[in-house]
Amino acid sequence: MGGDLNSARQLAKEFTCSKRAAAAAVLAIVLAVVLASAALAASTTTLLPATTNTTAPSGSDQAAGSEDLTTRCLTCHSQEYLGTVQDDKGTQNLYIDSAAYHDSAHGLLPCNACHTGFSHDPHKMVNNAEFFRQTANEACRNCHDDQFEMYKQSYHGTLSRGGTAAGEKAPICIDCHGTHAIQKVGTLEYKQSISDVCGKCHGGREGHGGREATFLDTYHGKAITLGRESAATCVDCHGAHSILPVSNPQSTLSEANILPTCQKCHPDASKGFSTFLVHVKPTSTKAPLIVFAVAVFYLLMIIAVFAFGGIHTLLYIYRGLKDGMYFGKGGGH
Amino acid sequence: MSAGTDAKEGMRLVYHRFSPFHRFNHYLVMISFFGLVLTGLPLKFKTSYWSQVLMDAFGGVAAAGFAHRAFAVVNILYFILEGSYMAYFVIGRKGPIFDDDSIVPGLKDWQDMKGMFRWFFGKGPKPLLNRFTYWEKFDYWALFAGTVLIGGSGLMMWFPEATTRVLPGITLNLALVLHSNEAFLATGVIFIFVHFFSAHGRPESFPADEVIFSGYLPVEHYIHERPLEYENRLKAGTLDQVVRPAPSKAKRRMFGWVTGIVTVFAFLVASYTLLLIIWPLFF
Repeated sequence: MGGDLNSARQLAKEFTCSKRAAAAAVLAIVLAVVLASAALAASTTTLLPATTNTTAPSGSDQAAGSEDLTTRCLTCHSQEYLGTVQDDKGTQNLYIDSAAYHDSAHGLLPCNACHTGFSHDPHKMVNNAEFFRQTANEACRNCHDDQFEMYKQSYHGTLSRGGTAAGEKAPICIDCHGTHAIQKVGTLEYKQSISDVCGKCHGGREGHGGREATFLDTYHGKAITLGRESAATCVDCHGAHSILPVSNPQSTLSEANILPTCQKCHPDASKGFSTFLVHVKPTSTKAPLIVFAVAVFYLLMIIAVFAFGGIHTLLYIYRGLKDGMYFGKGGGH
Repeated sequence: MSAGTDAKEGMRLVYHRFSPFHRFNHYLVMISFFGLVLTGLPLKFKTSYWSQVLMDAFGGVAAAGFAHRAFAVVNILYFILEGSYMAYFVIGRKGPIFDDDSIVPGLKDWQDMKGMFRWFFGKGPKPLLNRFTYWEKFDYWALFAGTVLIGGSGLMMWFPEATTRVLPGITLNLALVLHSNEAFLATGVIFIFVHFFSAHGRPESFPADEVIFSGYLPVEHYIHERPLEYENRLKAGTLDQVVRPAPSKAKRRMFGWVTGIVTVFAFLVASYTLLLIIWPLFF
C-alpha cells in the first residue's frame, strides 16, 4: 500500500513538473514564433519597396504587406479544383501549390510583384492565357533587366517577337525558368533540370531532335545525372539568356568562339578538342560513318557473344545435371 | 570428387598448372576488373537507382573517377607484366608456340567445340581436352584484346586535350563508343556468359575452382580434366615436370579459404552489377 501511495505521490509530482515544463515549452515556442515572424516581416518589408514600387499598386495593398496579399490570393488559388476556367486556348488551371511557391526562389515576393494589374479581391477575371505570357516577360524585367536585355538580343528573344508560327512557340522567360516554382540557381537539382528544360523543345525526334539524349550520353551528361555539380550542361556551352544558333558568328559555339568556350573548363584544349561531336547518337545512320560502324559492330558482337556463351553454358549445365555431375556420385569424374 | 574430400583422404600428388607469376597476375586482373566495373558501369547505366547508390558510396562521381583511374593503373601494370612474359616466352623460346600445350588457338579447338556440342546432346563422348580448352583460350585472348582496346580508349579519354592535339575530335567519340561497348561486353563475358561459369560453374569444378589461387589441382582431377595433356606427358616422360607432392595441410586449408572468400566476393560483385544493369528495365 505504502509503495502505491509513494508512487502515486511521485506521479503527481512528476505531473506538476511536466505540466510546468510543458507550459514553459509552449511559452518558448510562442515567443520564438512571434520573434521569427517579426524578423520575417521586417526582412520582407525592407525587401518589398525595392521590388514592388514599380509594379504593385500603391496605397492599401502595400500597407497590408506582402504576406497578407499572398495569403489573400492563395485563399482561392491554393484550392486544387478551383480556378479551372475556359479561355480561348482551352482550360487553364489556376491552382498554385503554395508550399512549392514559398520554397521557390521567389517565395518571399507577393503575387503582384509579377502579376501586375491585380490589386483587389475578388479581382477582375482575365480569361486569356496570352495576357499572362505578355505580362510575364515585362514583370521579370522589373528586377532582371540585364538578363532581359540579353534575352531580347538572343535567338529565342528575336523569334518570340517575330510574329511567326515558330515565334509563337519561342520560349519566353517562364518557359525555361518556370513560374511559381522557380528554382534557386546553382543547386545540383537546378543544374540537373537544365537538360530537361532545353529538351522540352530540343529533345524530340524531329527537327532539333535528340539533343537532350545525346547530351546525357556524353561524360558531361552522365556525370551531372549522377551528381557531379561541376559537369557542363547545355547552357555552359550554348549560353543561356543570350543564346544564338551555332551558325551565328556571335554564338558561343561559332567557328571563332567554340575553342574559348571549351577552354572555360579545359584550359589546355586545342582546336582538335573542340571538334568533338557532342550531339551524336552512335547507332543512328546520321552519325559519322566510322562511329556508326563501330557502334553497329559492337551491337552485333555483343549479341553474338552473349547468345553463344549463354547457349554453351545452358547446354553444359543441362549435360552436367543429366549425368549427375553436379549432385550425387560425381558421375563425371 | 571435390577438393574437400581429397583433403580428408590425404592428397598425395598434385598437378601444377599455374606459376606464382600467373596467379599474381590473376589477382591483379581481378582487383582491377572489379574496381573498373564498379566505378565505370554506373556511368553507362546512369539512370539506374543502384548506380546512384554506388556513386554515392564512392563519394561522388569525381571520387569514383579517381578510383577508376587508379584501377586502370593496376590494369596497365598486369598488361605490362603479361606482355613482358609473352615476349620472354616467344623470344626466349621457352616453349613451342603452336603445339598442343599452347594457348594459341588451333584446329583442335574447333574440333573440340564441335565435340562438346555433340556431348551436350548425348551424341558422343566428351572430347579429350588439352592443357587449355577453347573457352579458356577465348577468355585469355578476349581479355588481352579487350585490355588493349579499353585501355587505349580509356587513356584517350583520361587525357583528352593531349589526344586531340594529335588526333581529330572524333577520336574521342570513337573512344567513348568503343570503351563503353567493349566494357559492357567484357562484363557480360566475365560475370555471366563465359568466365565465371567456365571457371567455377562447370560441373567439373562447381562450386569453385581453386587452381588459379593455389596453382595446383589433385592429380586425379587433372587426369580427368586434361586427359590429352596427361597422355602426351606420359608418352614424352615429362610428367615429373608438373606433378609434385601435395603441399602441407595448412597450406591447402589456406588456399581453400582464399578461394572461398574470393568466390563469394566475386559472386556479390557480379550480382550487384547484374542488378544495376537490369534495374532500369523495370523501374
